[in-house]
Amino acid sequence: MRFLALVRKELRECLPWLLLAGLLLLVAGAWMLRYEAEYVQEKLAQPPRLAPGSAVIHAYRLTRPHLLGGPAKWLCVLAPGLGLALGIRHFWMPLYTRTWSFLLHRSVSRLTILLAKCAAAVAAFVVSLGVVWTVLYWYARRPDVFVIPASARELVVGWIYIALGLVVYLATALSALSTARWYTTRIFGLLLAGLATIIVLSQWNLGRVAVLLVLTLLVLASQTVAAFLDREF
Amino acid sequence: MTEIVLETTGLTKYYGGRLAVDHLDLKVPRGCICGFLGRNGAGKTTVIKMLLGLLEPTAGSARLLGCDAAALTPSVRQRIGYVTEGHRLFRWMHIGRLEAFQKAFYPKQWDGRFFADMIEYFGLSTKQKIKDLSNGQRAQVSLALALAPNPELLIMDDPTLGLDAAIRRQFLEGMIELITRQGRTVLFSSHILGDVERVADRLVVIDKGVLRADCSLEQFRTSIRKVVVHFEHAAPAEVGLEGVVHCRRGEKQLELTLVGTGDAEIAAYAGQAAATRYDFVEINLEDQFIEFTAPPNHRRLFQWEEK
Repeated sequence: MRFLALVRKELRECLPWLLLAGLLLLVAGAWMLRYEAEYVQEKLAQPPRLAPGSAVIHAYRLTRPHLLGGPAKWLCVLAPGLGLALGIRHFWMPLYTRTWSFLLHRSVSRLTILLAKCAAAVAAFVVSLGVVWTVLYWYARRPDVFVIPASARELVVGWIYIALGLVVYLATALSALSTARWYTTRIFGLLLAGLATIIVLSQWNLGRVAVLLVLTLLVLASQTVAAFLDREF
Repeated sequence: MTEIVLETTGLTKYYGGRLAVDHLDLKVPRGCICGFLGRNGAGKTTVIKMLLGLLEPTAGSARLLGCDAAALTPSVRQRIGYVTEGHRLFRWMHIGRLEAFQKAFYPKQWDGRFFADMIEYFGLSTKQKIKDLSNGQRAQVSLALALAPNPELLIMDDPTLGLDAAIRRQFLEGMIELITRQGRTVLFSSHILGDVERVADRLVVIDKGVLRADCSLEQFRTSIRKVVVHFEHAAPAEVGLEGVVHCRRGEKQLELTLVGTGDAEIAAYAGQAAATRYDFVEINLEDQFIEFTAPPNHRRLFQWEEK
């Protein structure tokens, strides 16, 4: 009950950001998919223009591996953006509104308060970006929309971008909780998140990307827990 | 034997190289209304934050309700009410939602009837948003939230700061409501001596992080006295009297603020220093506090007045 009260409060505080990100992805994604569907239908309706005597059929006429490529570009901006917004709302804002003292005197442990914030952030990502992304994928798999449906890999890529958003969230939290100077360890989390983003965007092997993200999340989570439990407010 | 609900031993806090609290030894017995006095920057908020585990002491320790302050368990926190400095609450919540939030942490203790009565008494509505409330109204909501779980120990950090006289009176009456519930202990910091005088039965005074007084209000009142000693010629350069905390020098007189100095000692000094006469001056609690905490090298701001 206490944990739920905390999660509800944290979710409510980030509701505007959550709705904005979800709505942007839904609108942009739906518009792009519709455009993409029309483009594919148009291409397929055209008679093949093969060179005389050639037996080569271009592969792109048979498969379109990146049906969700356009929405994915939006997602890889929206997920870190939402992570940054939630991190600021959950960890920076209480420093300015001075509500930490009130919150920390609740009859729960500090770890529970931190877990509630993280649970609310995960729920926000799942509800806003995760659900919308899965709906877009489901739409892209409908046979009446695309003759050749989107691959499961595209769904996974989207969820990887969402996990990247969580990395940025924890990095922002860590920077907010740090009392060091910006040019020293305080920037560590954000640098790590930036590095992870570059690697994820340039790496095509999903297995390696998943391992990297898990490791980055573990490093940031352990540092955030330590910083939160030891911090003076 | 009186049960001690709040105790600090050698509590010390440094911010970098600056000493904020210096070896504070304090004991607050159960059922006591303790006014925690100090000037701006004296270390009151630092002490309160250390008591609640929000700041880590550099040295020493504190115990609340028998539990180490640095590791207050959720069950002990449940028994302690806390009104934060400036009444910082979640601005986006309305009072009803804030009550529901607070209530979740006190499932068995929450007195909804009492909370509703207090909100009504203060002329507020549960539909009002915190961000739309004045500073005074936020203070009233803070108090209602802290009192509704019926805490054994209530700690308030400058709760009447920035409130006008009428709101302060209402706030204090709310506090008195708690006091009437037996066995409750209150520690509240304040600058406003009138408030302390109205409700406290014990005073703790700190100055620059050092404990200067920990006694009953009555004892504080009777211990600090002001005496003006008149001389026929110039006043002596040295004041050979125990307990002088402040001395203001006139042409032919000394204005002395004394702590714990008996009548016999004053009379003896007047005789030794060849004073023509001495008079006790009535001072109120506020003057007593100001004189008591004035720095040793305190000089009057308006020097020209004395010319």
